[in-house]
Amino acid sequence: MWPDGTISATRVWKRFHADRTRPVLRDEVERLVAKRRGQGEDRWRWALRDVDFHVAPGEAVGLFGANGSGKSTLLKILTRVMYPYAGRLEVAGRVGALIEVRAGIHPDLTGRENVYLYGSLLGLKRVEVADRFDDIVEFAELTDAVDRQVKFYSSGMSMRLGFGVAAFLNPHVLLVDEVLAVGDAIFQQKCLNRMRDVLAEGTTLVYVSHDLATVEATCRRGVWLDNGVVIADGPVRETLSAYRQAVEQATETSAMTAGPVRLTDVRVTGLAGEPPTSFAALDISLRLKAVDPESGPLTLGVSEGTAALVFAMRHDLQLASGESSLACTVAHLPLPRGRYYLWAGMASRDGLELLEWRPVASFDVEGPDLIEAPTAVMRLAPVQVEAKWST
Amino acid sequence: MRDEPSATLSVGRADPVAERMTTPADIPDSPPDDLRFRRKVRIGESIRELWRARELIRTLTERDLRARYKQAVLGFAWAILPPIGLLLVFDVFFHHVGNVSSQGTPYELYAYLGLLPWTFFSSAMTVGGISLLTSMTLLNKVYCPREVFPLAAVGTAAADAVVSTGVLIVLFPINGFWPKATSIWIPVLLAIEVAFTLGVVFIVSAGVVYLRDLRHLLPIALQLGLFITPVGYSFDVIPRGLRPLYALANPLGPVIDGYRRAILLGKSPDLGLTAIAAASAGTLFLGGYLLFKRLETGIADVA
Repeated sequence: MWPDGTISATRVWKRFHADRTRPVLRDEVERLVAKRRGQGEDRWRWALRDVDFHVAPGEAVGLFGANGSGKSTLLKILTRVMYPYAGRLEVAGRVGALIEVRAGIHPDLTGRENVYLYGSLLGLKRVEVADRFDDIVEFAELTDAVDRQVKFYSSGMSMRLGFGVAAFLNPHVLLVDEVLAVGDAIFQQKCLNRMRDVLAEGTTLVYVSHDLATVEATCRRGVWLDNGVVIADGPVRETLSAYRQAVEQATETSAMTAGPVRLTDVRVTGLAGEPPTSFAALDISLRLKAVDPESGPLTLGVSEGTAALVFAMRHDLQLASGESSLACTVAHLPLPRGRYYLWAGMASRDGLELLEWRPVASFDVEGPDLIEAPTAVMRLAPVQVEAKWST
Repeated sequence: MRDEPSATLSVGRADPVAERMTTPADIPDSPPDDLRFRRKVRIGESIRELWRARELIRTLTERDLRARYKQAVLGFAWAILPPIGLLLVFDVFFHHVGNVSSQGTPYELYAYLGLLPWTFFSSAMTVGGISLLTSMTLLNKVYCPREVFPLAAVGTAAADAVVSTGVLIVLFPINGFWPKATSIWIPVLLAIEVAFTLGVVFIVSAGVVYLRDLRHLLPIALQLGLFITPVGYSFDVIPRGLRPLYALANPLGPVIDGYRRAILLGKSPDLGLTAIAAASAGTLFLGGYLLFKRLETGIADVA
């Protein structure tokens, strides 16, 4: 037996009918008849292939990947809602899951009754639920609404109730699947804080989200699933940047698009052609080609992931028709080691787009790793500053 | 035992995408046969799990009862209404028009003793037969032994049956009739009735998940069942030679006959037929449960 909170999934496979007809008598009979005649093989689609997923008690794991990559299927197998086709699986302890909004919630019952129902689904005694009832109501900000039927709740309210119940009924393993999107910003923050508390209490967390920033903020370890296969499993920063890079590669367009202004060449280097290094100077050189003379502000930005900029720079530019070059130097590069993207875009003064805003180049920075906050689940922005210490 | 997670991905300096990342091509097309996930159904383990879930069954039963009675002004009258309504219909058509024999006992009591087990069976089937379908959203999110849903439905039907049994307190004095001492047979008959009902509910509830259109067949089957089963008339209508076969196919027949003999006629139930009914109900109960546990694994896949 594993200690409570351990997840151990070894070589898990799961398949679904690829051409699943409706589960009705007529279709089933047709299928059987076709099979009898030797035609119409059952076709299967693999949702998970050879997935190894081991989590130690108290670990926080972020699960990400494109839609249909098998994240939810994996969670459902972990909650034992679904059974794998092949593989070995053990999840020790009580599993609390928030898989969809309104998880485990019956619309005809009041909020209070739902809390008890969910508690008994988790295997808790009535008194145990009663002990935490007030915490749940306070967390979910329901106050008077607890004795109202859940079908009259707003989607935010039922999500808050669902999260409150799952997070406060002390599960050994908490599975959270893409649910925080419904809550407002304040409540999202509250949920993230609660997840941190739950982690501090030693609960194992598996967090699925397309919001990569919250994955990074909550989890230390990342698992990237693609097409039912674990592509990468490791420290969250590294797996996420690998994932982001793959996403970039899929979306990156050629640098030369048609427009009033074209970018013909981009170079990002450190001092004297060296690779870019933390705290050293960074040289960016651009070659631009304009059909007609244009003028307006040119914006350069540096991002770590797909969209969130670390910093940006702007310069007013007068372009003559034809090619011209431009250089920009960042004196002390405030970035830690990692891969970054350079964005460029230009607009005329009256707001007309001259050069489409998009990533134009990627570059790797050498230097120290990003410092981590002492209490695990808190992610710093990827900025490194030079600091002088004295005592 | 465990792999160190960080060992799976090593990050190169120039290229963060590590060389040791998994590529889909490394993975075979299908899993090796010895890896197949086999779920063994162990009765002992299942029962232990079910025992741990007793709180859940209680909550679900309460939920069913409350959700139903909360919306209904008539409240618990809903439990009494189906058997009473049928009793009135039977009284007019079977008793007065059709002149059905009640073996010298008051017809109202005679018919009501048939209606009680039938209503229990019928309402357990109506709710329990589709209990997995109606709880699909729950089934898809949280794990619990799946048989709690049909069990809770049967529990609800049982609660209704208890309420409608209360009508007898009025029916006996009205007819100036009292239960006979042979009524001690009731627990045996009740056990057969419950086992049969549970068995059928297990089979139907799991089957309906895979063959959804069968749920439309359910009301029709129950309507036919009401007339095939000796609810409004006497079991003696069935030819003597066919009775063992009938008892095997529909244990409710001998059970109802047994209730009438024991409570109204002061005789013990027909032991041979009751034994056949018990064997049939017991087999159905066990087989139904095992079948349910078998089919249970795929429920979320076709949800």
